[in-house]
Amino acid sequence: MRRLYLVATVLFWLLVAAFWAGSRGLPPAEESVAVVTEKSFSAGELASHATPENCWMAIHGSVYDLSAYLPEHPSRPEVILPWCGKEATEAYNTKTKGRAHKPYADDLLAQYRIGKLTPAQP
Amino acid sequence: MSILRLISIPLLILAATAGPVYWALPEGLGLARSLGIVAGWAGCGLLLASLLLMLREARLAQGLGGLERMYRWHHWAGMAAYVLLLAHPLLLAADAWPDKRLLAWQTLSPFNQGWPVWLGWLALLLLMLGLAVTFERRIPYRIWRWLHVGLGLGVLLGLLHLVMLGIEQPVWPILGLAAFFLGWRIVREDFGLAARPYIVQAARPVAEDMVEISLKPLGEAIAITPGQFVLVAFFSGPTFRGCGEFHPFTASALGAHGEIRLGVKALGDCTRKIQSIEPGVMARVQGAFGNFMTERAGAPQLWVAGGIGITPFLAQLRAGPLTQQTLLLYLYRAEADAAFLQELQALAVHDPKLSLRAVATGQTVPDLNTLLPVAGDLAQHDCYLCGPPGMVAGLRKALNERGIAPRHIHFENFEFR
Repeated sequence: MRRLYLVATVLFWLLVAAFWAGSRGLPPAEESVAVVTEKSFSAGELASHATPENCWMAIHGSVYDLSAYLPEHPSRPEVILPWCGKEATEAYNTKTKGRAHKPYADDLLAQYRIGKLTPAQP
Repeated sequence: MSILRLISIPLLILAATAGPVYWALPEGLGLARSLGIVAGWAGCGLLLASLLLMLREARLAQGLGGLERMYRWHHWAGMAAYVLLLAHPLLLAADAWPDKRLLAWQTLSPFNQGWPVWLGWLALLLLMLGLAVTFERRIPYRIWRWLHVGLGLGVLLGLLHLVMLGIEQPVWPILGLAAFFLGWRIVREDFGLAARPYIVQAARPVAEDMVEISLKPLGEAIAITPGQFVLVAFFSGPTFRGCGEFHPFTASALGAHGEIRLGVKALGDCTRKIQSIEPGVMARVQGAFGNFMTERAGAPQLWVAGGIGITPFLAQLRAGPLTQQTLLLYLYRAEADAAFLQELQALAVHDPKLSLRAVATGQTVPDLNTLLPVAGDLAQHDCYLCGPPGMVAGLRKALNERGIAPRHIHFENFEFR
């Protein structure tokens, strides 16, 4: 069992490192196209829009202004409001029961897109 | 062991795992993401089952086939959960790979995330460190035990990670159960609330680094039969200072009024201290546990004891004459280690069904094949083994080679880490 623990742990960290290395090794075009065509927001700017009346969220690398949409959201306010001003990809992907939102929600979300989140420098 | 007891733990683990997985079964998602969700919920269920299996309740242990069996499954369920929970974030990230490699890293990385994901990472790191400690045998048991509790904290944080993600409906009951199991274990068992008070009546050395302690109940005595073991914590007496930790000891004799005698060998810091125990020391006793000799058939028997492993057999012999023809093979390193040998020889003289073969094996590993009876002499025998894990493993192999079916070989390892 000790051997299983060691193998699983080492493999886990190797794969984490591989994901990190993969994100670092992107070809320049993949990163730069959006930068010149879209407005970019830092995590700090995102965090300054963290109220129900002024609610921005970052999902899948894009920033959305959801202030106008919040009253229409089907869940209880306390579920969605804590994500205002934050990176909310995981929450968006793991709605009730860990399921993702439906394609309809993806289309709806696109209407509120205002730009791109500047990736944090590791 | 009955079929019901045999399948009780696998069924329990299956139910604890399948329930949350069924509830959260993904629909219409990518393969990697679906597997990631299933791995997370299955790991969660396995951890809950693992927490239940660490409880030391005599009735629960009896229903689930014994404490030693519960602990074995506790270890396997915990390790399986750990592997699944390691796979969980990797599979979620893999869903975006290789088309969106930046998104894959952002899904995995804690740097761009908030408390919901940080808690998940913290829980995983606590499980990782807690298991690393679990495998480190050089840490004294007293410290190891509390470091092991860190694993329980990891479970609670992992469940809070789900709550913070907004997945509340099935998580609060699971979180409640996990906290209940942890609290139950710590308060009732580690702090000894479930234990009964006893007092040391006498203590006498019976071999080198081995003492036999007589305990008398101060209230209601625990129910115990020969072959079973108890968890005992010794506290302080007139001059003795006990370590107050619960350790497993097999009864070497049972009195008519609830008295228990225990054989204690100096195998660690605490048991070495117990060698100088004195009458009047307070003790707390939990149990009894184990079904090592409780379901014996009428077939002739082979008992093999190594060192302190003689105690369950001695308790059976002290309880009265045998009803089955029995060969007791008693292995010890040297005469100084041969606890209770004279008494065993006297019992063999007076009990026509008991044959005793006592062998000093020396410091080297004995050749078990030359010590055991030949295959023909063991036909139809039930074999009971008690001793160090290495010796028991060697005996099982040697008996298998003699054609003894595993169901006729009974043993307990007393491995509690």
